[in-house]
This record gives sequence, structure tokens and C-alpha cells, in this order.
Amino acid sequence: MDRLLPLIQNEALKIWKKKRFLVILIVLLILIPIFTYAQMKIAETNKSHFKDWRNQLVQQINEYQNMLSSDRIPDEWKRSRRIAVQQLQYYLDHDVNPNSPDGVTFTRSFMSNAVTLFFPLLVLAIASDLVSGERTAGTIKMLLTRPVRRWKILFSKLVALTMYVSLTVVASAVLCYLISGAVFGYDGWAMPVFTGFVIQGSSIESSFVHAVPQWLYLLMEAGLIWVSSMSVALLALMVSVLVRSTAASIVTMMAAVISGTILSSMSSSWQSAKFIFSVNLQLTDYLAGSPPPITGMTLGFSLLVLAFWAAASLTVSFSVFTKQDIMN
Amino acid sequence: MRTLSSGSLWKLIGLSAVISTLLLLAGFGYAVKDMLHPKGEAFEGTAAVPALPASGKLSEAKEISITAIGDSLTKGTGDATGEGYVKQTIALLAKKYPDADVRLNNNLAVNGLKAERLVRLLETDKGYRYALMQSNVILFTIGGNDLFQIAAGSSANKKADELDLNKLKAELPQGLNQLAKVTKLLHDINPNAHVVYVGLYNPFYDIPDFRAGSLQIQAWNEQAYALLHQYGNMSMVPTFDLFEQTIGRYLSSDHFHPNHIGYAQIASRIAQSLE
Amino acid sequence: MNKAMNDEIVLSVNDLKKQIGGKPIIKGVTFDVRGGEIFGFLGPNGAGKTTTIRMLVDLIKPSSGEITICGEDIGRNPEAALRHVGCIVENPEAYPFLTGWENLEHFARMQRNIDDTRIREVVQIVGLDARIHDKVRTYSLGMRQRLGIAQALLGRPKLLILDEPTNGLDPKGIKELRVFVRMLADQGMSLFISSHLLSEIQLMCDRVAIISKGEVLAVGTVDELILGAGQYVVWQFEQPGAGRRLLEGELDVQLIGEHEHRIDESLFAGMQDVQVTTMNQERIPSLVEKAVRAGIGVVAVHRIAPTLEELFLRMTEGESIG
Repeated sequence: MDRLLPLIQNEALKIWKKKRFLVILIVLLILIPIFTYAQMKIAETNKSHFKDWRNQLVQQINEYQNMLSSDRIPDEWKRSRRIAVQQLQYYLDHDVNPNSPDGVTFTRSFMSNAVTLFFPLLVLAIASDLVSGERTAGTIKMLLTRPVRRWKILFSKLVALTMYVSLTVVASAVLCYLISGAVFGYDGWAMPVFTGFVIQGSSIESSFVHAVPQWLYLLMEAGLIWVSSMSVALLALMVSVLVRSTAASIVTMMAAVISGTILSSMSSSWQSAKFIFSVNLQLTDYLAGSPPPITGMTLGFSLLVLAFWAAASLTVSFSVFTKQDIMN
Repeated sequence: MRTLSSGSLWKLIGLSAVISTLLLLAGFGYAVKDMLHPKGEAFEGTAAVPALPASGKLSEAKEISITAIGDSLTKGTGDATGEGYVKQTIALLAKKYPDADVRLNNNLAVNGLKAERLVRLLETDKGYRYALMQSNVILFTIGGNDLFQIAAGSSANKKADELDLNKLKAELPQGLNQLAKVTKLLHDINPNAHVVYVGLYNPFYDIPDFRAGSLQIQAWNEQAYALLHQYGNMSMVPTFDLFEQTIGRYLSSDHFHPNHIGYAQIASRIAQSLE
Repeated sequence: MNKAMNDEIVLSVNDLKKQIGGKPIIKGVTFDVRGGEIFGFLGPNGAGKTTTIRMLVDLIKPSSGEITICGEDIGRNPEAALRHVGCIVENPEAYPFLTGWENLEHFARMQRNIDDTRIREVVQIVGLDARIHDKVRTYSLGMRQRLGIAQALLGRPKLLILDEPTNGLDPKGIKELRVFVRMLADQGMSLFISSHLLSEIQLMCDRVAIISKGEVLAVGTVDELILGAGQYVVWQFEQPGAGRRLLEGELDVQLIGEHEHRIDESLFAGMQDVQVTTMNQERIPSLVEKAVRAGIGVVAVHRIAPTLEELFLRMTEGESIG
């Protein structure tokens, strides 16, 4: 380990000096205010229409119910609405505001909305050229002719990548809280959030529902986002090992991630799509009790699928990287 | 950046990354534990009970808060502008009481709602009760689906030739029974509000075979009035007369719901009846 | 010759072969590099020089054959073997977003026992002190080359491998490199230098291996292989016609037609009416004297090495290589 630490330091410093993390922070600093502003506009509209959040919630439930009574709406869509109604009703019945306008709640919803596309994107900014970048620049020759085993080089890159994935998730949450808090206020840590909704068909089994303080919910959410981001990171690392050009590596991964998002929304009719890694990225849905993209998917299932993809990418990455000839 | 040597930069990055990772791992671990081994836990929310608005004349109220419940008529189905009678009533009341703040609290109407389900909502749905408690005017319609859906087989929108007058007649007592519960519940929830019930009309008046249905509708309206009459704060506005000679003018193309002008007539009657 | 040269075998390559996609690229390369010598690796572009060098430093796995560096097999124990090697493969690469110093720190962390003092030392050796804290992005090619060498020297290697080190350098830079390489060798370091330019190898190296089409044609001292291969003597007279007649009159001087020699044409830039000959070089002084006595002014006499292609041609044609 004492020999690995300097290698990890190398990789971490290179990512930093390439200003990759700075780019991520800048992207966050631009996007979060935009979303905060949009949320502020929504809150303003609601405020002018409704006396308090309960009126808004009851109206929302009512609108869903009216949609459910229409014949023109697809069953799949109805199913998820029916579940949403039951959840909102649960919040209403227990007099807890699911969308309270505060910094913590905004952060929570921003994070869960970002998990399928935005976080993978940020992760790709770091992971995509981790190996292919060294090849393009030719520095891989310097790296691999030092008296260090190749697996150690890749391992140190992997650890550095993990570090930045963690930093990205935490930095997003912190920036989100700081920026949105300036508009919505900095409290909401102790507010109760319900979790443990068990979905059965189109109804919710609420016997396991329990309230957790929002700070804990946010922590759990961030943990799940980290796992899903890590699986993207490991896959991106593999692509970066296999594909010589960084551009090709980014495009490949973006295609994989985006197609997963599209498949998730098309859903259900193609059952085996649930084995595709990018369909399983929305781990936070299980926490919130939203219906999964394909019926029958559970947290355990998604974690297994992601773990399988991660393990496979690691195996491929290491076996290719340690054996391949560096020809250019 | 220049002032930070790569050694201390590394320490900074390394330390914050390790702390972040541990934090996230803990969060993940807790999430997995929490979801794979969930334990239900009764949450004792402190139910919010809004103060009832003061009873009394609307002309003296500073704020007129309106909650509408019921079926598609209250929803405004058939009105191309989407306003229905509820929004038009609010506009009229705002003109009538220029000093008061007239606003819609909630319109919780559900298409196809029957009296029985409304009873259930009023009994169990905290949101409904909450909204109703906040208001000093409650508008509602109910019964149309009970009578015409039964009579028409399934959907109220079905063609009138399937209408069965005998069924209509048989359904009356059942529906009125539910209406009685609705009025009682409304009174229990908010005895201070002005409650206005919009009476039923016969949308098939212009079809000779079903003109007789109007008699059943009238029977409903009469008994509904008797129910409402028990409570001093409740009143009923008739609508049956609007949809007889002028039915072609006031009914929308689905031949069941009023159109925009039809709703306007209902709204003006409601506005007239309130004081 | 080199005073620090010794008989220790620093690099030993034995019957090295490599196939890529079923096609043999390297068909059996064998040579040894001894301690403190400058070993040239001469071959035209595409001969397999770079592939061989990449195998020496574990970038490419050989299909068969052995490479040992200071007694350590590179295939079996790359960590131990590479500890003794510093190298620049093709271009001197460095991370452009780091400063020169940060680059050196980066590679220092990949080896044992290299502290800031050693980094300062190598920076001084290559004379990069002034710009070492600037980003590499702003460096010229020559500076990158120096940085590359500094990086290669960090781990006090016993063997320094330089792949076409003069590529892209100006004449002054090439000269400096030559002096520098000699200095390193004098300190006991072995150098392995590849090139496709015969003249370069000739000026820099003690021994040379000549490679063509994946095979080593010959290994020997530079004198044996190159000087012995025969050189052209090029004459330039004040009176070209008279000079030519004088040369024609000498029996042991063969005049070579304008299109029959294989001298790099660029060497004749600025020269007019040259007479290319092959002859015994010891005869040059007496011939000059003869010309002067005949009233023919001698402007210049050049000894010009044959091109690599010529050398190969002679070797493969089975001509004497001395």
C-alpha cells in the first residue's frame, strides 16, 4: 500500500490539474441556479393559487384522479399515477409536506432527478479520458515504462476515479443546498420524509412506511447515487481502456446511458431490458417508492445487476490493460 | 492555486475524498438496510386543523374562500373555456363584493363521481376536509352520475336510447340516501360555510321518449331540497328550467353537460342566491 | 573509445521475435549492450526499431525470445528490470497541464528513493532550471526533449534508451546531445540509441547493430561496420575540367557518374561541379599536392559516408563489410 499511495496521488493530482473537477463545479454553479430559479417560479405560482401546501396537494391528487378516470390514458401511466396518488395521500393524511420549499428539500429532489443522466454525465467528464487520454497524449509510454506493475497503474486510476465520484456527489449536494438555500431558506433538515412504500401491482402496501428525518433521507439518497455513479464510472473506465480515442469513449458511454433512460420511459413491454445497466441507475426511486421502470424490479435486483456490470467491466479493464501491447 | 504545493493539494483532495466516500458508503449502507429490512413505524403527524371562517353575511366578510366538490358539472366538463360554473361564480362574486378577496380555495370535483364515493371522500380524506374547513362558501353537485349512469347502463355519456326510465326511478331512494349523508357530513365539517347545491336537470328533455325523465329529476330535486332545508346555511339553486326550452342553447355537444353559456346561467343563479 | 566501458552485460536480447496479426514483424533479434558503452541501433524507418525498443521496455510483449536487463528478465519481473532503465520512446511526452517540475515529481513518485534533491539534480544536468516551474504546454520541442531526458535520468538508470533522439532538433541541439550522451557514458551509463541516420550513429556510438526488415544484419564496432564499408571522396576544383582529367589519370581512383552514387543529394547543396570518387583515403594528400603542382586549385575535398541504403545494399549483396 505504501507503494500504491504515491501512484494514487499522481492520478488524483492529474485529474485535478486537468481541471476536470473545476469543470464539474462550474457546470453545477451554472445549472443549480437555473433550477432554483425555475423552482422559485413554481413556488410563486402555487403561492398565488393555494392558501397552503395542503390545498395544493389535495388539488394535485384530484387532478391525478381525474386523469385516472379518463379512458384515453395508457394503463402503464395510470399505474404510476395511481401509486403517486396513494403516496401523496399518505403525506396528506399524515400532514407532512412532500415538497416543502426549503434548501434541503430542493437538494433532495434535485439529486434524485439528476441520478440517471446528470450524474453519469459528470462522471464521464472525469472517467472517459482516464486511460484513452494518456494514449492520445502518448504519456502512457512514460507511465508503463516505469518500474511499476500495470495493474497498480490502473488500480491507482480506479481509486482516484472513486475519489472524484465521491467528491462530485458530495459537492453537488453541498452546492445545491448552499445555492437553493439562499432562496428557499437553509432549514428542512429534521423534516420527516416517508420511505418504505412497497409497490404491489398498482397499489401501495403502506405497512412498512416509516418517516425518516430529511437529513438521513438525503444521506441515503446520496449513497445510492454514489453506487449508481460508480457503476457508470467503472463502465466508462473499461470503455476508456478499450477505445483509443477519448471522443469515441464519451460517445459510447453517453449512448449507453441515454438509451437506458429512453428504455426506462418506454418500459414494461420488453421485460429483459431490466438487465441493462442503465435501466437500473435510478436507485433513488426505490427509496422514494416510485414505481420502477419495469414491473418486478427491486432495489436488490438493481444492485445485483449494477454489481454484475461493474464486476464485468473491472475484469475486462484489468485483463486488457495488463496484457495489451502499446503500439502507438 | 500556485501557492498550494502539490503535496498539500493532495492532502486536501485525499482527505475530503475519503471523508466523502465514507459518508456516502454509510448512506448507502443505511439505505440498503432500511429498504431490505424495513420496519413499519406509525408516524404521529400533528394533524393541522384550520380555524373555521366566521359565519355570517358574505357582504361583511373580508375574504370569500370557495371550495367546490362533486362531479363533472363542478369540474366544468363541456365548457370549452374550462371555466365551468365555479370560476364564473367567483368572477360574479368578485363583482358583487368588490371589497372582499374572492378566491378559489380548491376545486376537488372528480369526473364521474357518485354520491357514495363522495361520502367516502368526505369521511376519510383529510385533504377534502381540510379544504372544506377553510372555506366560507362550498359549492357542490352530485347525483347526476347516480341517476343517469344506472339508467344508461354504464357511462353517462352513452346515448340516450339506452336510458331506462324505470331504473332511474328505482335508483332515486338509494341516491338520496347518500345525499343525506353528504349534507350531514358537510355540516359536521363546516357548519359556518354557505353551502350551495346545484340541482339536477334532464339533459334528455328534447328527446320525446325521455321527457318523462324530468319528473324523476324533479322528484330528486324536491327531496334534495328537503334534505338541505334542515340546515340553515345550505341552499339549492334550480337548473332544470334552463334545460327545457333552451336546452339546445345551453347544452354542450356531448348532450349531457352544459356549455359555457349554460354554466354561466348556473353561476349567475348561485351568485344571486348568496348573501 | 570510452574509458568507463566494462564487460558487464547491461542489456541482453536473445532471439527476440514478435508477430502481429500472424505477420512476423521482428524475426529474431540478438545483441548485447555492455556497461558504459553507447550502442547504436541503426535501421531505416519501418525496419522494426521502435517495435524492438517497445519490447525492451515492456510496452509490447514479445512473441518469443528473452530480454534481460541487469540480469532481470523483463517478462518475468518487469518491476525489477525496469528499475535500471530510463527511456524516451519516440517523442518525449509529458503532461502539458503540469509544470516541468510537477511532471518530474509525478515520475519520481513511481520509483523508490527519489527526493527533491535528485529532481533538482537532473534539472540541473539537462539545464532546465530557468523554466522548470512553467507549464510544459509552453515548452519548445527542445525543452521537452530535455525534460524527457531528465525524467529518464531520475531513477539513476544503468541503461538509457533513446529512440531517435535527434528528431526535430536543430544542429546546435544535436551537437549538445552528442556531448551530453558522451558525458553520461563516461560516468558509466550504457546508452541505447536508435537512429535511421548513419552519420549520427557514426558520430555518437561505440558499437552498432544494424537492423533491416526485422532482422539484425550485423553487430560490431562502428569502425568495423561503417568506416570499413568504404566512403566516397568528393573533390571540388577551381578548374573543374582540368581537375576531372587529373583524377581520370589516376588508376586507383574510380570516378563515379552523377547518377550512380547513393549520396544524399542534400549534402551537395551549394556545391558546384563536384567529382565523386572512391579511392584509398590515404592517397588524398598526395593527390592534392599533385593537383596544386599542376596549377589546379583544390577548393575542397570531402569524405562522405555512404547512405544507410547503400550500406544495406552492400551488406545484402554480400560485399565486403570489412
